[in-house]
Amino acid sequence: MMDRIAGLGRLGIAIIASFGRSGQFLFGVLAGVPRPATGFPLLIKQLYAVGVLSLAIVVVSGLFIGMVLGLQGYTILSDYGSESAIGQMIALTLVRELGPVVTALLFAGRAGSALTAEIGLMKATEQLSSMEMMGVDPLRRVVAPRLWAGFLAMPVLAMIFSVVGIWGGMLVGVEWLGVFEGSFWGNMQSSVDFVDDVLNGFIKSVVFGFVCAWIAVYQGYDCVPTSAGISSATTKTVVYSSLAVLGLDFVLTAVMFGDF
Amino acid sequence: MESSAYITLRDVVFSRSGRRIFDGISLDIPKGKVTAIMGPSGTGKTTLLRLIGGQLRPDSGQVIVAGHDVPRLKRKALYQLREKMGMLFQSGALFTDLSVYENVAFPLRVHTSLPEDMIRDIVLMKLEAVGLRGARELMPSELSGGMTRRVALARSIALDPELIMYDEPFAGQDPIAMGVLVKLIRDLNSSMGLTSVLVSHDVPESLSICHYACIIADGKVIGEGTPEELRAHPSERVQQFLEGQPDGPVPFHYPSGDAAADFGVGGRSS
Amino acid sequence: MAQRSTEIIVGLFMVAGLAALMFLALQVSGLSPKSAEQTYTLYANFNDTGGLTPRGKVSMAGVTVGTIESITLDRETFQARVTMSIHAEVDNIPADSAAVIRTSGLLGEQYIDISIGGDLESLNAGDTFYSTQSAMNLERLISNFASGR
Repeated sequence: MMDRIAGLGRLGIAIIASFGRSGQFLFGVLAGVPRPATGFPLLIKQLYAVGVLSLAIVVVSGLFIGMVLGLQGYTILSDYGSESAIGQMIALTLVRELGPVVTALLFAGRAGSALTAEIGLMKATEQLSSMEMMGVDPLRRVVAPRLWAGFLAMPVLAMIFSVVGIWGGMLVGVEWLGVFEGSFWGNMQSSVDFVDDVLNGFIKSVVFGFVCAWIAVYQGYDCVPTSAGISSATTKTVVYSSLAVLGLDFVLTAVMFGDF
Repeated sequence: MESSAYITLRDVVFSRSGRRIFDGISLDIPKGKVTAIMGPSGTGKTTLLRLIGGQLRPDSGQVIVAGHDVPRLKRKALYQLREKMGMLFQSGALFTDLSVYENVAFPLRVHTSLPEDMIRDIVLMKLEAVGLRGARELMPSELSGGMTRRVALARSIALDPELIMYDEPFAGQDPIAMGVLVKLIRDLNSSMGLTSVLVSHDVPESLSICHYACIIADGKVIGEGTPEELRAHPSERVQQFLEGQPDGPVPFHYPSGDAAADFGVGGRSS
Repeated sequence: MAQRSTEIIVGLFMVAGLAALMFLALQVSGLSPKSAEQTYTLYANFNDTGGLTPRGKVSMAGVTVGTIESITLDRETFQARVTMSIHAEVDNIPADSAAVIRTSGLLGEQYIDISIGGDLESLNAGDTFYSTQSAMNLERLISNFASGR
C-alpha cells in the first residue's frame, strides 16, 4: 500500500519535473533567436512542411464540416421557421469555435506528430549530439524554426478552415436546400462582429498553434532515443496537444465570450 | 617522455541513474598522438567522450582540455572550444536531409563566413582525404555504413580541429572498410598533427594504430601504456581483455544460485 | 535547390491566409471600411428594457441609425438608462420623438426603434428621449387579454 502511494508521489514529481524541463526548454528555444540570414530559410522550409502540407487535410475537413453544419442547421432551424438564420449559425460556429479548435486538433495529429517523430529520430541517430559537438546549438537550428513555423501556420490554417467551411455551408444551404442567398449573407454579416468573433477566433488559433507546436517539439526533444521511445513520444504529442487545446478552448471561450 | 597532455582527467566521479560509472578516474591523453581507450561494453567509454566534449558534467573532479576546465565553461566558451574538436559518432550521425557535400560543408557554413568557392574547395579536399570526392552529390540514405562513417569523418575534420574523438569506429565493419578506417585514422593524425582519441573494444585494430592506450573497467583505469607495455602487463584483467579469454577475472557465469537446486538434481524427496 | 519554389509556395500560403482573413472581415462580418464614423450620444429611460443588450441596433423607419452603447440602472428613479450612439449625419431627430423597444423576427433580437414626432426642433448631443415605450412583456399582455382590457 505504501509502495503504491510512493509510486504515485514519484509519478507526480516526474510530471512536475517534466513541466519544468519543458519550461526550461521553451526558454532556451525562445532565447536563442536565430540570426536572420540563416534562420529565415530554415523557417520557410518548416513553414512549408508544417503549413502548406497540412492544407489538404484542413481544406477537406473544413469543407465537410461546413456542409454538415449546413445540413444539420437547416433541419434544426426549420422547426422554428428560421432557416434564413443558417448563415449566421454556420459562421459563428466556425469562426468562434470549430475553426480554431478542429484545425488545432488536425494540426496536432498531422503536423505535430510529424515534428515529434522528426526531432525524435534526429535525437536517436545522434544528429542533435553531433550538432552540439560541432558547436551548433540544436535548439536554435532545429527546434526554433519548427516552433515558430507552427505558431505562424496555425492561424492561417484556421482561417482557411473557417472560410472553406462557410463556403461549404453556403453550397448546402443556398444551392441545395434553397435558402435565399441574400439573407444567408445578410444575417451573417449583421451577427458576426469582426473584433468580437473573427479576431477572438484568431487569437485562439494563435494560442493553440503555440501550444501544439511547443508540445510537439518538446516531446521529440525529450524522448527516449529508441524507436519505441519515438513512437511513444509521437502518441503523447497527439494526446497532450488535443487535451491542451480543448482545455484552453474552454478557458478562452469563458474569458472572451462570457458576459463577466 | 610524454608530450604534454592535451586532455587531463583528475579524480572524475560520474553517476547516472544511481550507477557509479566513474569512480575517481584519472588519465592523461597526450597531444599529437593516437590514444585508444578500451574496455568491456558498458564501462562508460562513450560517457568519457561526452565528458571531454562538455555534453555531460562530472559530479566531481576536473576535466581539462587544452588548458580549459570544461565543466566550468560558459555556454559560449564551450561552443567555441567545440569548434576545435571533431567527433565521429558510432552511427555517423549525418544529417539525413542534406547531401554528402552539404553535410561536410555544414560546419564551415555555420562557423565561418567563407565565400562559396572557398567552401567548395575545402569540402572537396576533405572528401578527397577520405576518398569520397566522387560521392558528393549522394544523400546519406544512399551510402553504405562504411561510406557514412568516412563522410562523417570528413565532416569532423572540416574545420581543421586539434582534437578528434572516435566513438567505436570499427564496430560492425567489413575487413576492407576496417582497413580503410585504420589507414585514415593514422594518416590524418600524422598529417594534420591531431590529437586522436579512439574509443573501441576492438583490440587488434586499436593496438595496431595507437601510440598509447588505456583500459577502463569498473569506473577506473586498470592498465595504461604503449601497446608493448600493455601486452606485457602483469594484471590478469588486462590480459583477459587483451587476449579475449572467455573466463577469468570477468567470470563467464552470471551470478546465480546453486545449480543443483535449479535442476532438481540430488535430494528430490518424492 | 528547390529553395526558390518552396519560398514561393510558402508565400502563396501566407497570402491565402491573408485573403481568408479579408474574406472573414468583409463578407462574413460585414465590416465596412467607413465604420469609423462620427457619432453623438442620446439617452433614453425605460421602465423595462426586456432583452435589450449593448451592441443592439437603433433604427428609424427600419434603417439602422446607431447602436446601443450601454444599459445601466438609475438608482434614483429605478428606471433603466440606455446610452445610444447615433450616426452624426442623422442630426434632425425631432425633439418629441419616442424610443420604442421592438422585437425583430421570431428568434427575437430586441432593438430600439425611433418613432418620429412632429417637433421642429431636433435632439442635440446628450439629450434624453422624452417619451419611451418599454419592452413588450408577454405575461402582462396575456393577463391584459385575459382580464378583457
